[in-house]
Amino acid sequence: MQRTLNGLAAAMLLGAASPAGAAISEGGQPGDPQQVSRTIDIVMYDNYFEPEQLTFAAGETVRLKVRNEGALVHEFNIGTAAMHEAHQGQMQMMVDHGVIQGDHLNHERMKMDMGGGHTMEHSHANSLLLEPGQEAELVWTFASADSLEFACNVPGHYQAGMVGGIHVE
Amino acid sequence: MLSKGVAAALALLPLISWAGEYNLTVDRVTIDTGEFRKQGIGYNGASPGPILRFREGEDVTIHVTNNLDEPTSVHWHGLVLPFQMDGVPGLSYPGIAPGETFTYRFPIKQAGTYWFHSHSGFQEPDGAYGAIVIEPQGREPFRYDREYVVQLTDKHPHSGDRVMRNLKTSADYYNRQQQTVGDFWRDSRERGLAATLKDRLMWGDMRMMASDTEDVQGFTGLINGKGPEQNWTGLFQPGERVRLRLINSSAMTYFDVRLPGLKMTVVQADGNNVQPVTVDELRIGVAETYDVIVQPKEDRAYTVFAESMGRSGFARGTLAPREGMQGEIPELRPAPLLTMADMGMAHAGMDHGDMASMDHGSMNQGDMADMDHGSMNHGDMAGMDHSNMNHGEVAVLPADPFYAQGSGLIPQAYNDGRFLSYADLRAQKPLYEDREPTREIELRLTGNMERYIWSINGIKESDAEPIRLQYGERVRFKFVNETMMTHPMHLHGMWSILDVGADQWNPVKHVVSVAPGTTVYMETEVDAPGKWAFHCHLAYHAAAGMFRTVIVEGGPEGGDS
Repeated sequence: MQRTLNGLAAAMLLGAASPAGAAISEGGQPGDPQQVSRTIDIVMYDNYFEPEQLTFAAGETVRLKVRNEGALVHEFNIGTAAMHEAHQGQMQMMVDHGVIQGDHLNHERMKMDMGGGHTMEHSHANSLLLEPGQEAELVWTFASADSLEFACNVPGHYQAGMVGGIHVE
Repeated sequence: MLSKGVAAALALLPLISWAGEYNLTVDRVTIDTGEFRKQGIGYNGASPGPILRFREGEDVTIHVTNNLDEPTSVHWHGLVLPFQMDGVPGLSYPGIAPGETFTYRFPIKQAGTYWFHSHSGFQEPDGAYGAIVIEPQGREPFRYDREYVVQLTDKHPHSGDRVMRNLKTSADYYNRQQQTVGDFWRDSRERGLAATLKDRLMWGDMRMMASDTEDVQGFTGLINGKGPEQNWTGLFQPGERVRLRLINSSAMTYFDVRLPGLKMTVVQADGNNVQPVTVDELRIGVAETYDVIVQPKEDRAYTVFAESMGRSGFARGTLAPREGMQGEIPELRPAPLLTMADMGMAHAGMDHGDMASMDHGSMNQGDMADMDHGSMNHGDMAGMDHSNMNHGEVAVLPADPFYAQGSGLIPQAYNDGRFLSYADLRAQKPLYEDREPTREIELRLTGNMERYIWSINGIKESDAEPIRLQYGERVRFKFVNETMMTHPMHLHGMWSILDVGADQWNPVKHVVSVAPGTTVYMETEVDAPGKWAFHCHLAYHAAAGMFRTVIVEGGPEGGDS
């Protein structure tokens, strides 16, 4: 099989262990729950978001309540297009290793030691990975940077259009 | 006439039913491929015919007028409908006589990309085909800014009747890639005289040649009726998502499709949504459809390149920001050569000298769909597959479980990236509840290449009993391909649930391609009473007898009409 683990791909998992440092500086950062100005509901369907466009004031801290109403696993991830693209490599690995199995996550495999103490646990500060029916939230402070997107990086979903725009005023 | 008020009120009704009326004429037309002109058959004065755009939930009425001096028919490929509307002469209805108009009426119960074509003689290879696009009722699980139908065909300068006569006279009439004496001496130098002699004698015993991938060569590949020089062009604005509705309306030719510089995200197979999978290249079997989304970001032309599986021809078009732009046209890659694996030999590990006397029918490739892909060992492959070494490719091949291990036909992406496999397809949303099949029916795909007889279980349609199914059962079909050709098997009227080992997520198709030397399973929920066709969609194979009548007994009285 060509689609197997190789050294290069394994190295990409490092990103999963160190919560996407670049993501935080470019897209904003985890926010202080005390500073939340409002709560925004985001619903994930197969394979799209509702709403598909979000607007914030620069520096605004919001609570993003994300619910997966689809039948498949979906991700909610804040970043630039380039960050999403980089993250898609990791997500492909999670599929190749049976961590993401269409409609559910294999939590055992997620904890599998990939070497060097790294696992495939999806613990990024800027994202949520949800099984069907699950709900979770992120508190996020948006920086002034533009060209931000919220996206699902489960393989193929971003390309199929499961991505929305973030406008920071 | 509706008053404005009534119209506005109607527009507010959520379940308004649509009733569209359409007209098709079947006409003699001239087809110009840019390389040759020929007389053919088309719809509404052109080949291909118009794109029919329906809506899910619509009740369609289609008047088909036959302006030919011979009978005709129109089959709505992939549509679920009452069998009397399916358009197969002798099964659905008598056909449409010259000068007559037949009116089709049926509800549209599905969405996606399909096509229509004549089911009479060789009118389809002669040009009688068109596209069907059905808009869904709800939102689709993907998003795009614009869409194009990309309908492929293999236009041959000879008429279908003439091609069939020539094949019957000499099965290799159109095979231009036969190995020559020069190849023999080159192979002898590279591999030794004894090995080369043995190889050639082996193929001779089988009455086949390693180059028998495409039995009708000499065609010009068309996209939406345009030859490579005529360059069909679809426009885009950089950054837009473009949905391409790929339809292979070829008589005989599988195409390997790519857009160099772009990845394709496959979102539909045979009209049904699949979980999106992003690939660099895909192989589209005859009569299949794939919907892909591409996102060209640069302000330049991108070539749509469709190379035939046997590399004897290609179709070419362009996606561009403006009319008149052209991308680079790639070279054709070397033709694949079939290997012993494609004749079902790979797993036997026997002395090749005994092969001619072997019973191919008894060979079971094992249950591929259930195979653990991770455990497949490809280390042995290069040694087994002599023909591939002619191309200097000793590299480990990617394993696609839908090809025989060591097959010469295993596709590889142009950029060494990802090539779509059936194993990648997962239904976006299961259409049926998953359940155990009530029984299994084995269909051995058989043939005598030399006499150009193609059959199922060794019997051609004219000598065969129909397959009888009971309404309400779920049948598991086991295809065992004992020939060295690839057969796109098409069951009318009911869905083909392809077993890729994903249970309720198995993709739902209307054509299941079965590669040489493989066994492929599909399951069918028998939910449509009546008489249906079940055949290889290679035009000349179906006509030669690789065809079965399926009768569904029981169920709603007299069919679903």
